[in-house]
Amino acid sequence: MSLLAKMIRTGRVTETPDPSTDAQVLPAAEPFRRSIQVREVDAGSCNGCELEIASAFGPVYDAERYGVRLVASPRHADVLCVTGPVTHNMATPLVKTYEATPAPKLVVAVGDCARNCGVFAGGYGVAGAVSDFVPVDLEIPGCPPSPDDLLRGFRRLTGR
Amino acid sequence: MSFAEVSATAAMVVGAVAIIAAFSIGDARRRALVTGVLTALCGFSGLLAASGVLATGRPVHAEFPHLLPFAGLSFRLDPLGAVFVLAVGGVVTAAAVYGIGYTRDHLSGRSFQALVPAFALTLLLVPAASSMGTFLVFWELMALTSLLLVLAEQRRSPEARDAAMWYGVMTHLGFIALLLMFSLLAAHSGNGSFLAIERSSSSMDPALRSLVFILAVVGFGSKAGMVPLHAWLPRAHPEAPSHVSALMSGVMVKLGVYGIVRVGFGLLGGGPSWWWVVLLVLGAASALFGILQAIASSDLKRMLAYSTTENIGLILIGVGAAGLFTTTGHPILAAAALGAVLLHVINHAAFKALLFLAAGSVVHGAGERNLDRLGGLMRRMPVTGAMFALGAVAIAALPPLNGFASEWLLLQSLIHGADSQALVVAIAVPLAIAVVALTAGLTAATFVKATGTGFLALPRSPAAEAATESPRSMLVGMGFLASVCVLLGVGVGVLGAGIGRAVAAVGGVRKPAPFRVHGSTLSPPWQVVGTSMALAAALVLGVGVIMVLLRFLPSGGRRRRADNWGCGRTQQTARMEYTASSFAEPLVRVFDDVLHPDLDIDVTHRQESQYYVEKIRLRLGIKDAFEERLYRPVLNGIHAWGIWARRLQNGSVHRYLGYAFAALIILLVATR
Repeated sequence: MSLLAKMIRTGRVTETPDPSTDAQVLPAAEPFRRSIQVREVDAGSCNGCELEIASAFGPVYDAERYGVRLVASPRHADVLCVTGPVTHNMATPLVKTYEATPAPKLVVAVGDCARNCGVFAGGYGVAGAVSDFVPVDLEIPGCPPSPDDLLRGFRRLTGR
Repeated sequence: MSFAEVSATAAMVVGAVAIIAAFSIGDARRRALVTGVLTALCGFSGLLAASGVLATGRPVHAEFPHLLPFAGLSFRLDPLGAVFVLAVGGVVTAAAVYGIGYTRDHLSGRSFQALVPAFALTLLLVPAASSMGTFLVFWELMALTSLLLVLAEQRRSPEARDAAMWYGVMTHLGFIALLLMFSLLAAHSGNGSFLAIERSSSSMDPALRSLVFILAVVGFGSKAGMVPLHAWLPRAHPEAPSHVSALMSGVMVKLGVYGIVRVGFGLLGGGPSWWWVVLLVLGAASALFGILQAIASSDLKRMLAYSTTENIGLILIGVGAAGLFTTTGHPILAAAALGAVLLHVINHAAFKALLFLAAGSVVHGAGERNLDRLGGLMRRMPVTGAMFALGAVAIAALPPLNGFASEWLLLQSLIHGADSQALVVAIAVPLAIAVVALTAGLTAATFVKATGTGFLALPRSPAAEAATESPRSMLVGMGFLASVCVLLGVGVGVLGAGIGRAVAAVGGVRKPAPFRVHGSTLSPPWQVVGTSMALAAALVLGVGVIMVLLRFLPSGGRRRRADNWGCGRTQQTARMEYTASSFAEPLVRVFDDVLHPDLDIDVTHRQESQYYVEKIRLRLGIKDAFEERLYRPVLNGIHAWGIWARRLQNGSVHRYLGYAFAALIILLVATR
């Protein structure tokens, strides 16, 4: 009962959508028809991006409003959302994950590390940027990108 | 001469020629070939003779009054014996063909080659014997030839000697019980022939009759591998060469069942209901204990041996139920239960022999029979793997193979007996149904374990990795039994009339037997089984056709071949797989009150820190509870008694002279 009371007391916390983001749909995302299933791949991230992604799907930002869902397996996914520089240990699993995703599929490189290795560039454990291993369709810059940045990026795939 | 007589004579002659050929042919490979072919012909002739008897219902007689002093040899193969001869003949045929390839390299010696047809002949003759003398002679010859065959590989495995010791002692204890039993029967009838015993046994003192029955259960039960007299079976069957294991496990243990049926229903003509309750309880204990031990053991052949104990348990449940239904006045149910039992005797002979031959093929190809160290054999030994899988499906009682037909018929006869008015039936039969159902489920788990860990996945040892497929003769032997499993499953109705005649023949000679059921009375359940088996076969066939069509029909869109999704992991090694032990672990844990697993985990830490593990050793030993609790104390007692008795004989001549003097004095006093 106290849970219900708390829910009523708290009310709605979700931020209103930003109307200025006049989403322009990426042509490659057309086949998904305004709904994408996302598999997150941590290719060697410091987990900063993961924190932001977690909050983007939390109650405040609520990415699912825009037709974006996180799924548990690349077999269920339309979009791979890759974070971090690609480390030596994760290079093969990343490629295998890409192979396991059914076509049509897109890859989103989330954060500066995924785009160009960021602060980890030249590190002994780093094998390269995401685009060195799988074709990248969309980049979301930032170190880490804020939930707003993430939503803006994802809305370019769903058009909502 | 009738067809059956001609075939029976042919079987005897060809078998004798096979023994002579084994001794007289010089070249080892040719010896194995000729002896194998002749033994197979001997078995096949026996099979034809049995089918002749079953088809006509007319027994085959033969008398040799001069062959054995005092009693002579006399044979009478009636339809009941013919069911067992049918099973023996089929298994001998397959095992002999298999033996050509199996024995030609390391077991081609003269004496071994001669022992196999000799063993086959005794197996064929025991169910045909019709007098006490003949029966006991061939029973003992069967025990001795199989004992020598168990010892065949004793140079390579020391366990074989231990196994043979257990087998020899147990089988001779059983023989003593049988000797006592037949002596009691013959003393009453004044004649050793089964006919005379049958005529006179009803006038025996009831207590004596019960003693005879108990002795028969002990004597024949020890041969059948019934709990608690099964201790020799999981030792001797794995150590024998595999085609001999197939003969021993597939048919020799069944002759124990034959003995119980022959004595209980035939010679004694039925008895009070407590006899059959005893049999039912022993059967239920064998079924459950056997399958639990089978699920826990990771030695392939030991697992199959325990599964034989389980199947004997099911058969004894059926025999007990048949007796119980007879005494409580349900002759039709009794006939159905006994029919199911006889059918299961044939079916179990087919699939257990097939499984043992496949296990032998694994030993031949991989040199290893521990399931924990096998794996991946389906790719390296595809035919053997397919044969084992087929046998596993049959023994797990899945339609449309033969195991389902007999277990289903057994369950049907039990279920229809459950609403009986008699109190003892109303209590015993529902429990028996529960035991049969639980056993069937555990059997499926056991054979999923064996097939899954032994033949699928990745090889767990270099031996399994280097496995090679067996020679063609071995595959032909297995193929024969595999086709029998399929045919007896889909076309179970073929045996209906013959089994009906066998059941009708059980009732004895003079008494109006409760089993004397007309063919028409017994046929409806058989027709139902036959129809449902055909339906199941059609279903399986239909699914197969659809799968093949889906595979080869063109489909829309482009196909892409990809690996299974393994969460992106880069390695797949045999250490990540289930082993046979780990697969069985949950069930071992559930049933640990019965199995008493002996678990020993030994963790070695690294020197630097105890949080880092250097290695973990796990040893899981499953001991036979009966061996630990029942045999060990008895053996220890005998041992202690022996040590004590040693004091009598300390090597001193004076003491021995004293004994002689004392004995003389006692004798003089006693005979004064």
